Amino acid sequence: MCCEAMNKALLELCEKYSVSARGTISFEDGNFVLECNCGKKTILLPWRVERRFFELKKFLTDGTLEDLSTLRFCTVKHGGCLKKQIAKELDLAAFFTGSPVKSVFAVCAGEKGAAANIIAKLENDVNVSIECSTKLPAGNDPIDRHELIAARGVASDQTVDTQTPHASVYVYNDKGESRYTDTDTELFGFSYDEIWTIRAAFAALSDTSLFDVWNDAYATMMRGAEAAIASDEQKKVMFL
Amino acid sequence: MKPLKIAMMSLTHGHTRKYYQTLRDNPKLDWVASCAEDQRAKDVYDLYQTGVPCYLDPEQMFAEHPDIEAVVLASANSKHMEQVRFCAERGIHILSMKIPTFNMEEYDEMIELCDKAGIVCQVELEMHYNPVVLRLKKLLQEGAIGKILASQATNITLSPVWAFPWQGVPEDSFGSRVPLKDGDPRFRGGALCDHPHIFDLIRWLTNSDFDYIYSQVAPNLRKDLQVEDMLLANGKMKDGTAFLFDPSWSRLEERIPVPAPGWEVFPKRMEVNLVITGEKGVLACDCFGPNVYHNGAPNDRYTVQYTYFDEWIGLIDEFVDCCRNGKQPKINLRWHKQTIQAMLGCYESVKSNQPVCINA
Repeated sequence: MCCEAMNKALLELCEKYSVSARGTISFEDGNFVLECNCGKKTILLPWRVERRFFELKKFLTDGTLEDLSTLRFCTVKHGGCLKKQIAKELDLAAFFTGSPVKSVFAVCAGEKGAAANIIAKLENDVNVSIECSTKLPAGNDPIDRHELIAARGVASDQTVDTQTPHASVYVYNDKGESRYTDTDTELFGFSYDEIWTIRAAFAALSDTSLFDVWNDAYATMMRGAEAAIASDEQKKVMFL
Repeated sequence: MKPLKIAMMSLTHGHTRKYYQTLRDNPKLDWVASCAEDQRAKDVYDLYQTGVPCYLDPEQMFAEHPDIEAVVLASANSKHMEQVRFCAERGIHILSMKIPTFNMEEYDEMIELCDKAGIVCQVELEMHYNPVVLRLKKLLQEGAIGKILASQATNITLSPVWAFPWQGVPEDSFGSRVPLKDGDPRFRGGALCDHPHIFDLIRWLTNSDFDYIYSQVAPNLRKDLQVEDMLLANGKMKDGTAFLFDPSWSRLEERIPVPAPGWEVFPKRMEVNLVITGEKGVLACDCFGPNVYHNGAPNDRYTVQYTYFDEWIGLIDEFVDCCRNGKQPKINLRWHKQTIQAMLGCYESVKSNQPVCINA
């Protein structure tokens, strides 16, 4: 991902929508970080502005789903840091429900954190399952799934009776198969992950209170992930 | 080979109707009689118009059909012990439902009775005869993703309790009334007791046994049930494979007394899916499909219509082969015992809120 291009797009969004704050996206220690000209700095949590997650959260807040029971998350990627993968999913659980993680129990497998299967409990008694894997071979799009199961209604970012995410466009030609999923006209041409990184930075500059919210959330989600890893090592449920 | 004279008993299990076609179609069988648990079960049985006589008293059925060689015990879990005794006394081979019993003393008695009587007791775990599972096993054996590191598996369905009420009664499903944990009004005997398949499958795929298991119940979707309907389990096999299971009744249903079209509220009423991480890659598997879809009668609701359920063909073929040729079925009482112990381990973990070691 190119920070220069992302910063140019961020500036254009700020100018277009008359957002006075200015900021710079950089990549530090495996995270995208936004530094504001007001002096504030935060690690970006792009999933918190990603449309599909925003819409899933809305199902819980607008009454589309009632009496949530269980969240089932899956994320399968090529490489990367398993702990951060776990942390992100724990943050999504807390973000969706507005309820912090109360306890975690993880079982990890493989060298250098190849995979982890986690069960968490939220303060509001909701169960969360998270399956994480880093063993998807290079060149494959990440596979993930987020399902919310309630006494009234089930919501998911994946179609019923399918195992992998859909793309918007499929091209089959003499070069094989190509897939395209474009989600943002204003940021057309950026990758899916770049789009939500820019959108997260724009959201934080539009509402600078998010800097503190996200810094707190980042610290909490990393504590949760560390507890998950510790629960595997100690074969014990860890309470946060 | 002479067809095996077979009967069905009780007819109250959710899988009862799945045998009707196989018992009629399989040339290796002669389905001679059925015996219903009560008049309600007989009334439901009559709806299917099998043409096979149905009794209400097993003694009468055996008196009228002394040539019965084998029975399908299509009954509530709490009935299995007395029915195994009944069959063992008469030297009748048994096709047991998926949970012989959760009482391990009874379980050992069942093993002893069948050994002494020299009868076959095959446990009905139909996923062993599912073609997708056969492909999955072949791929793993061929090293398609290398050694298995972790597996996630779902065995999620709607709840059958409205059509098969015993599955919501702790004494009938679990065998006794045991609270889930302190301060929880629910009892053992719900979704977990309905879904042993993934606990069995992981043993088959890894060729390993359970090391430890953790389980956690969630708030019920059906507030009026006495038993759990939502839970998760994770843990490790002795070979180090990490697993995560969802054996919930997480798909809502219409509360109809007899399974029929329109049963589903969620479009897909049943799913057994696996995502397996290996040293060399990842494998995702849906054990049922490809399917067809409609939004027509009776509820005009988008619905997944399954295209095949032929697991019972292979299951019955193996059963007949074992009965006729004195073989031991793959899923016999001894093999299945650790699967039951792992499920009991889940309940113990729910109670203690900590992982539990599974000692085979």
